[in-house]
Amino acid sequence: MIEIVVNGKKERMNACNIQELIEILGYHDNSFAVAINGTFVSLKKYEETMIKSDDEIEILAPMVGG
Amino acid sequence: MWEIGGKKLNSRLLIGSALYPSPANMEESIKASGAQIVTVSLRRQNAGDQAGQNFWNIIKELNLEVLPNTAGSHSAKEAITTAQMAREVFNTNWIKLEVIGDQYNLQPDPFETVKAAEILIKEGFEVFPYTTDDLVVAKKLVDVGCKILMPWGSPIGSGQGLMNPLNLKAIREKFPDIQLIVDAGIGKPSDATQAMELGYDGVLLNSAIALAQDPVKMAEGFQYAVEAGHLGFQAGAMQKREFASPSTPTIGTPFWHQFD
Repeated sequence: MIEIVVNGKKERMNACNIQELIEILGYHDNSFAVAINGTFVSLKKYEETMIKSDDEIEILAPMVGG
Repeated sequence: MWEIGGKKLNSRLLIGSALYPSPANMEESIKASGAQIVTVSLRRQNAGDQAGQNFWNIIKELNLEVLPNTAGSHSAKEAITTAQMAREVFNTNWIKLEVIGDQYNLQPDPFETVKAAEILIKEGFEVFPYTTDDLVVAKKLVDVGCKILMPWGSPIGSGQGLMNPLNLKAIREKFPDIQLIVDAGIGKPSDATQAMELGYDGVLLNSAIALAQDPVKMAEGFQYAVEAGHLGFQAGAMQKREFASPSTPTIGTPFWHQFD
């Protein structure tokens, strides 16, 4: 179990990589993108990108904008 | 027809998707504006949040060009990461580069904007940089490869119109081959017309339509305003005169007599 920050909120997770994380969190379609500690992680690198305690993860999705 | 970012378009109005009274009103307003480019953003959302997904479905169905922004970024690094995320989600290399340098007037940070623009262009992005009306900053952005510049009319959401037409005109004259779009500060249709009369290639706005009493009607108004200004620029305005000059022929004037 690791403690990470997802979208600004502390979470305790049993996930080793980004792929496992998004499955646990329940993201299904491809309308989102991920960054870890301020660095973009492309879709094809979800499995190889490992996560550890204190990582800060952003999961962003489309929203209105000007 | 005009071309921007490799796309041939008819409308020179770029419209934002925020602040409308409802999603349905947003959809109707975008349609009424005739705009073919719509700006969008990326925000934190939990899995299963429907608001963002519903919004994105509406935008996709409109079948327009999507221009994602990096709104909220305060550094080149944040803007670059947001742009990379946007490219994957929206499947476009277009990015409206916004790096805010001051929270009070939302003025762009010119140093971070130039830094981010240079990196993003090298990564294959078509950068639409939001900048001030500063000629030197414009030059720096062009120097790093920007083919499009988006100087502000006035601060974002202020509706103050064009604060400094002289500076905007100078940028137009200095960069005849760069696509210029006035972004931010437009309040009413005549502001858009004024920007287009200066020879700008387009106008980007959001609040002026979304916060109008009747956004759909205002959107239609802006469509005409942008077109009118562009036609006016193409036609070339007459020279101003110091004094009156009659337009009706004076020869054959009935009841003619000499005034003192």
